[in-house]
Amino acid sequence: MDIDFLLNGESVTLRGVEPTRTLLDWLREERGLRGTKEGCNEGDCGACTVMVTDDRGARALNACILFMPQLQGKAVRTVEGIAGPKGELHPVQQAMIDHHGSQCGFCTPGFVVSMAVAHLNGDTGHDDALAGNLCRCTGYAPIVRAAEAAADQPVPDWMRELPEGLIADPQHAPESADALAELYEARPEATLVAGATDVGLWVTKLMKELPDLIFLNRCKDLQEIEETALGLRIGAGVTMDRVMEAVKTRFPSYAGMIRRYGSAQVRNAATIGGNIANGSPIGDNPPALIALDATLHLRKGDARREMPIGEFFIDYGKQDRQPGEFVEAVTIPAQADRLKVYKLSKRFDQDISAVCGAFRIRVEEGRVSEARIAFGGMAAVPKRATAVERAITGKPWTDETVMGAWDAWEKDFAPLSDMRASAEYRLDAARNMLSRYLLEDLGAPSNVLEVMP
Amino acid sequence: MPDTLDPHVRFGSNSGQPVTRRDGLAKVTGTATFAADNTPDNMLYAVFVPAAIARGRVTGLDTEAAAAHPGVTHVLTPQNRPPLQGDPSDKPTMFSFRFEALQDDSVRYAGQPIALVVAETLEAANEGARLLNPKYERLTPRTDIDDAEPYAFEAAGFGLPANTVHGNPEAGHASAAQAIDVTYETAPQYHNAMETHAVVAKWEGDHLTLDMPSQAISMSCAGFAYYFGIPAENVTVRSPYLGGGFGSKAIPTGPYVLAILAARMTGRPVKMMLTRQQMFGPVGHRGQTRQRLRLGADDTGRLTVIDHEGIAATSTFDDFVEPAANASQGIYAAGALRSTHRAVKLDIGTPGPMRAPGEASGSAVLECALDELAEKLGLDPLELRLKNYAETEPGTGKPYSSKALRECYAQGAERFGWNSRPRAPGQMRDEDGLLVGWGMGTAFFPCPMFMAEANATLRADSTAVVETSAVDMGQGAWTALAQIAADSLGLPLDKVDFQAGRSGLPDGGVAGGSGHTATAGGALHAAGGDVIRQLGEIAAADPDSPLYGAGNAGFVARDGRLYVAGDESRSEAYTDILARSGGAEIAGNGSASRAPETAEQHAMNAHGAVFAEVKIDPDLCQMRVTRLVGAFAAGRIINPRLAESQLFGGMIWGISFALHEEARHDHKRGHIVNADLAGYHVPVNADVSGLDVITVHEEDPYVNALGIKGVGEIGITGTVGAIGNAIWHATGKRVRRFPIRIEDLLTS
Ligand SMILES: Cc1cc2nc3c(=O)[nH]c(=O)nc-3n(C[C@H](O)[C@H](O)[C@H](O)COP(=O)(O)OP(=O)(O)OC[C@H]3O[C@@H](n4cnc5c(N)ncnc54)[C@H](O)[C@@H]3O)c2cc1C
Ligand code: FES
Ligand code: FES
Repeated sequence: MDIDFLLNGESVTLRGVEPTRTLLDWLREERGLRGTKEGCNEGDCGACTVMVTDDRGARALNACILFMPQLQGKAVRTVEGIAGPKGELHPVQQAMIDHHGSQCGFCTPGFVVSMAVAHLNGDTGHDDALAGNLCRCTGYAPIVRAAEAAADQPVPDWMRELPEGLIADPQHAPESADALAELYEARPEATLVAGATDVGLWVTKLMKELPDLIFLNRCKDLQEIEETALGLRIGAGVTMDRVMEAVKTRFPSYAGMIRRYGSAQVRNAATIGGNIANGSPIGDNPPALIALDATLHLRKGDARREMPIGEFFIDYGKQDRQPGEFVEAVTIPAQADRLKVYKLSKRFDQDISAVCGAFRIRVEEGRVSEARIAFGGMAAVPKRATAVERAITGKPWTDETVMGAWDAWEKDFAPLSDMRASAEYRLDAARNMLSRYLLEDLGAPSNVLEVMP
Repeated sequence: MPDTLDPHVRFGSNSGQPVTRRDGLAKVTGTATFAADNTPDNMLYAVFVPAAIARGRVTGLDTEAAAAHPGVTHVLTPQNRPPLQGDPSDKPTMFSFRFEALQDDSVRYAGQPIALVVAETLEAANEGARLLNPKYERLTPRTDIDDAEPYAFEAAGFGLPANTVHGNPEAGHASAAQAIDVTYETAPQYHNAMETHAVVAKWEGDHLTLDMPSQAISMSCAGFAYYFGIPAENVTVRSPYLGGGFGSKAIPTGPYVLAILAARMTGRPVKMMLTRQQMFGPVGHRGQTRQRLRLGADDTGRLTVIDHEGIAATSTFDDFVEPAANASQGIYAAGALRSTHRAVKLDIGTPGPMRAPGEASGSAVLECALDELAEKLGLDPLELRLKNYAETEPGTGKPYSSKALRECYAQGAERFGWNSRPRAPGQMRDEDGLLVGWGMGTAFFPCPMFMAEANATLRADSTAVVETSAVDMGQGAWTALAQIAADSLGLPLDKVDFQAGRSGLPDGGVAGGSGHTATAGGALHAAGGDVIRQLGEIAAADPDSPLYGAGNAGFVARDGRLYVAGDESRSEAYTDILARSGGAEIAGNGSASRAPETAEQHAMNAHGAVFAEVKIDPDLCQMRVTRLVGAFAAGRIINPRLAESQLFGGMIWGISFALHEEARHDHKRGHIVNADLAGYHVPVNADVSGLDVITVHEEDPYVNALGIKGVGEIGITGTVGAIGNAIWHATGKRVRRFPIRIEDLLTS
């Protein structure tokens, strides 16, 4: 494919690029820019973090799972471009030196770029911005201190750049949903690539051959978030960082869960459409969307259909999607917020869920009037807990009711034991999530024995 | 002051200062060159194929398909692999392991290299590797610690005794008023430095140049020279920066040898960089252990016996055994001490040294067992430790070279607020209703020294060059060793050109055992001292010098001037002394190691106390370490900033050991199911909050010339136990395996 983009302020024109070439490999092996490091080649460590700017602004992304065509018309800055053209250090670089933010230094280029992006965007939530960068040496504290110290310094001019919106290869990177619909209907065997946080791994880790790719990142109209008569419509191409913003005030618990979804780099790349379409039983969006009674919009050519999102997931690896059909959007109906999402993972950040439970329970006059409960990690697909819902609906919203649903859980789910958790743990945790919802809902102090000395 | 501290050394002018890293600029701008960043012209890429089974034989490889792939130049298998001059089963140096370099078609663990593909590009090499499509004959793998019978052996770790007894353990058990008998398990762990192993190998005739991360440069040269049948001087290792080592980068491994072989065979430079997945197998790990601890105490809480038995997993073809039980020697004043080890041979890669080998796993269990005993005795855990405080080394009765552990306990407890801890578990909640628990543990680490040499040359303009093949794997050698060298020469840091990180320099020894600063630093200190001695001799013999005739009084060297000791009105600049002597340079050299007599006379350990707070969600049991205070006494601190970073880093490793790190085998198929950073967890920023390090003042006149004890590893010890104990204190649940999983707390 043909790709044009800015690299550290200079324009780069490439012809005939292998579409699954990753930016990291290209930078290191072809361009000779070796400051960007490889620590895992699958999005887990942030050593390869680069800054990518488009008309939505600058974001940190993992170069190891970023295909070159995803850069079309964008501006890329690597660690080599974080210092100024005359070698002036960026404030975060100086702060990293002053605060001893590096030991072995292998993670440092990635941290420096993540920090520089946060600095540019005025983002002072350092812990979140840095959650996707692993360091095996420092224990992070000196790095966070450096980020804090640099926060007040002005943004150097060279960090602000606006790429020109160049036209990409229309056969592989359509510019609109209409163009995509036409292409995909004609080439239903093609692999759609949105954020590539899954597809990237097929290439870098599973060494899969992908003969025909269609990139979605140029379809601006798939990236819109709109308030419609039916509710909040989120385009399939909206990345998780933007989903988080969009639901922040409406469903704070959902946003809180997304805050722990992958890392900043992963959220900046991963799309909600990809997270639904991949049909993963442990995807974090589907439980919340099912609990919220969201509608999924599918499109094939000019034909559109919609369905309650829960019905999309048929079985493990099987979704209700025709060849040539793609996810266009998802709509969350307007509603009063009764949603709570619990993402259980062992490590606090950057960890795939062992169990992710979403609960929306309406209570009228002390009784449960409606319950929608959905789980990831408990079955082969994201799945509703219908027996539990039935067991509590119409009952008083009390501890007895919650305990009364004990056996219903086993009707709904027979989870597996795997590396992340045992079956028993999953069931117990699911039960406890419901108790937790009740406690939080009734505002009861959680049985305080003794306050901290 | 003992005579080991040379009077000319003015600690404080450079050493002791929190100088920022001299390599900081290179690291933040991405210009620091790590091994895989080297890309010489005409280079080929090598990729090895890891075995997908853990035990059996490779019966088929589609070498034709691989060789036919465009760009692939060579495919190496046991059938066509050129001979090595040294047998991969031999151990030419202290840090040698047996390894697989395509000697035969057998598979001894999952991840073992079974073929090598060499190609013009990395993609072609990867594709060639995929096309080999191996076929296997599988045998039932043995990867669980219960899959084989434990056996007894002679030496644990690197030549440590497998069995040590002091006093009469049976009598200790018999006389105990209170006893506990508990068994704990620790998981297999993989170093996972952020930089994976990588090498760029280049032959010129029978000279070999290796760009690779190495914690032991001259030993690596000797090792590779042996396998390739060339003199050690013909091997150049360049290792200016390591992206972390933690013990795994001290040893020549099979993948390295294969890449070097490919370079020799092709006559072109070859790069090999291991993938993250390939780090789980051929490059060492911390072996799994099962440890039984039996403690006895009298009614007052005095230990009558510590009886520590360790079983550790090792490979079927080599014998490194995690010396976990030895951690119980030398800390507490028990009536009797016994440490014994046995091993089980499994179909896994050979374990090796990983940050605090033995001490980490052993002290984790010892500190938890003590907590269990304290509970039984109704004693505060700190009180129990103080009751058994060892004034001299238990067992041997040797005096300690220095031991400020009491101060560590006191300062750590004070900073943490330990005194207000309720004794019973499950008593504390925070304002959000989370369960809160507090625990503590004792940290300790021995102070080994290796052998190192250094040169120093003072130039006429009062600048100097100092040389030793020391390595910086992140601990800060580029800075701390330069500080020592500058002080030994009485020069400001910026006047000293410090050369290290490659072979061809005097042997800087091994960056390991927390002994590198002491050893390489000692050699630099001696080399600088040698220069100053010669300079003093010249000045004292020169009638034109203000120092003439003052030789007997001795000199103090500072800021490029020599002063008469005791009469600082008499002094002269180095430049003047040298100018009159004809402007010649002065070259000195020095070495450092520990004299056996010194080692006989004193027990030498660094010590510390770690206090942990955890918070646990009562319903979902998610755990977080919310506060960690470590107070450490580790002799002289050359650079407080670097030392603090090392101690922080060690404590994070403690969190990681206690709560995260674990390689999980699929025991049916034998491979590791979480061989990546998504599944093999190391802490992320959010897992780490509220870390606090106190360095307790300690002067040690015996441990080495500089009084340095080392800070690289001690931080893990104590921390693991402190966290385990805090979890018990929060929940009342005693989990006897590490890492502790959420489900251990949830399910009853
Ligand atoms: C380090 C890391 C951490 C992660 N953490 C989490 C986590 O915490 N929680 C979680 O849920 N997931 C996590 N993931 C998984 C991943 O982020 C999601 O599955 C992601 O949402 C996929 O979106 P994408 O845009 O990257 O999709 P892609 O990788 O581009 O595509 C995924 C799949 O969906 C298809 N597809 C994409 N868009 C469409 C469309 N519009 N219509 C039809 N098919 C489409 C693709 O063809 C492909 O089959 C993580 C991944 C990584 C690498
Ligand atoms: S190399 Fe680890 S995230 Fe890219
Ligand atoms: S400094 Fe070594 S990994 Fe961060």
